[in-house]
Amino acid sequence: MNTHETQAAQVFLAHHDFVRGVALKYAPWPGLMEDIAQQVFLEFMAKESQWDLSTDARPLLATMTRHIALRQWRERTKQQPEVVQKLADHIRLLAEEREAPPRYEEEISVLRSCLQKLPEKSRELVELYYYNDIGTPQIADQINMKADTVCRALSRVREKLRECIERTTASQGGHAHA
Amino acid sequence: MPDTDTLIQRYLEGTLTTGEAEELHALLQAHPELGERLLQHFEMDAMLRATKPLVVESMGARPALLPKRRFTFATVTSVAAMAACITLVGAWLINQTMSPQPEAEETTASVAVLTRGVNLEWDSAAVTPGTPLSPGWLRLKSGIAQIEFYQGARVLIEGPAELQLVSSGEATCTRGKLSAQVPPQAKGFRINTPKGTIVDLGTEFGVDVGAQNAEVHVFKGEVELHQPAVTMKSLKEGQAMAIAGNTAVLPANASSFASLNEIDARSAMSQRFQFEKWLASSARLNADAGLRLRFDFQDDEGSRSLRNHAVNGAQIADGSIVGASWTTGRWPGKRALEFRNVSDRVRLNIPGETKALTLAVWVRVNGLDRTFNSLFMSEGWSDRKTHWQITRDGKVRLGIAGGGGSHHVDHDTPVLFTPERFGRWTHLAVVYDPAAREVRHYVDGELLTRSALKDTTPLKIGIAELGNWNDRRSSGGVAIRLLSGAMDEFALWDRALSDEEIAVLGR
Repeated sequence: MNTHETQAAQVFLAHHDFVRGVALKYAPWPGLMEDIAQQVFLEFMAKESQWDLSTDARPLLATMTRHIALRQWRERTKQQPEVVQKLADHIRLLAEEREAPPRYEEEISVLRSCLQKLPEKSRELVELYYYNDIGTPQIADQINMKADTVCRALSRVREKLRECIERTTASQGGHAHA
Repeated sequence: MPDTDTLIQRYLEGTLTTGEAEELHALLQAHPELGERLLQHFEMDAMLRATKPLVVESMGARPALLPKRRFTFATVTSVAAMAACITLVGAWLINQTMSPQPEAEETTASVAVLTRGVNLEWDSAAVTPGTPLSPGWLRLKSGIAQIEFYQGARVLIEGPAELQLVSSGEATCTRGKLSAQVPPQAKGFRINTPKGTIVDLGTEFGVDVGAQNAEVHVFKGEVELHQPAVTMKSLKEGQAMAIAGNTAVLPANASSFASLNEIDARSAMSQRFQFEKWLASSARLNADAGLRLRFDFQDDEGSRSLRNHAVNGAQIADGSIVGASWTTGRWPGKRALEFRNVSDRVRLNIPGETKALTLAVWVRVNGLDRTFNSLFMSEGWSDRKTHWQITRDGKVRLGIAGGGGSHHVDHDTPVLFTPERFGRWTHLAVVYDPAAREVRHYVDGELLTRSALKDTTPLKIGIAELGNWNDRRSSGGVAIRLLSGAMDEFALWDRALSDEEIAVLGR
């Protein structure tokens, strides 16, 4: 690996959360964000010799991410039944039309501290579903509850975390872009 | 039917039935506020997945449950980030060994890039340095081309030669000479010839394919020679062999193949030649009767203005540089202005009206992160003002504001700027031709698209900016339309240039 490649990898890693935020905006499809970030990394590194790394990499990464997001979005949703495609298109338009820029980059670090403040049962649910990759029907079986109840519990946890992030960022002077 | 929370959860989990998808869609249409709620859950879901630690501590005995998701990039990049602290080599290797998703492989066409060229003449479609190359034939009439395969191998081909790119690690040569440098990470790189296949084991070698025979010469390391119905042969450093027929081992002859040093020297010479040719043609261009403005960007590096070199452009003053910094242009010694901050621009004034108009620029676009990315834009947007810009989706647009209550009209090209074009110098031109009642867009000297012109009222450019935009009417902030990139030549004519004239400019 030459020096320029090393620098390019460092630049990407420094902007990894920024790329994820852009990916979420243009491809709100479950599980697609990481695939997009992966592809952006590969394409960014494949052409690293072309990039002037002394300049701000965000415009370049934003455009690359948007192109790749739209490409992967099309590929992923076209495999779905028509009715799901319509729902997915509707959600993508909602995401694109949102006026606020992606907040992922600012919020991810706040989220980590908010997770520590969750009640024990909520934290366990997060660990089961998000960290141990166990689906809601299986969690329901395990804790002897209905699957819909688990869905609602996860929904409440996410809402609590959203409230915590809003409170924390407000106390720190609001979002940087506001 | 499940409640809204459950529907959202199933959307996030990818387990919606078609009936549930229909229900959720109907709810979103009937209750627009639900859309924001869903997006917030979606974002939080994605962030929670990304907070997954590298090693998940066991939370006690659990039933044997199957993981619901596959291996994700989050894990890989977390590892890469740690490895970066120790050595970024690790990060690169980790990511290189990951398999991209099948759908991404289907849509990624290019396998190599033409990095340098000397006196290139093509029998196939012309390609210029910086162009990504997809699988297919390259027929080089003359000159030397340096191709870097995405797997890492670097190949020089000398015209006349025919090379078919097969993949990022394989090519077929049916005629001509090539030499290859294959770093360890590209080990296994293959060159097929009509007589046999050379498989590289991490080395440097040359192949000469003639009408009757073919030879392989090994300059460093070792290669394997595979031929139909013949035992595989191994050739080591300093050895050469005919690929078919006489199998005697001969001394390798490195001097008969182009080397990287040679292309370095010839490339530098070629660039110098092109630069001098451009300098020599400048005086003739400046004297063109219809040329009203020409910035060659060769002003002193300390200068904060761009001199208008058009002999007949006395009515247009020099441009004023705001913010933009000097950088290198198309060739060493050629200067350019880089636009990177929101303040960066060149201000100028084009007084009066113009019946016809041609604009031409050499531009290097680094990325398109804004809705509109300015090439050359009149201040404000009314009464036949002109906006030449690149849209976020990569189309080049000449927008003309309506006059006397009529609507504005946009003349767009198809998508031109994709990531494959970023970082490369591109020549763009647009012609507003009232006589032919059309607008023509050109790229690298070739006609790209033409669109009908209904309203041929003269244009009024007035105060304008290169690389940015100012809306003097705005009181609540100005939309950012900064170009992320560089320019090293800009010209404006008050006449419609022909296809032939544009072709000369774009060469």
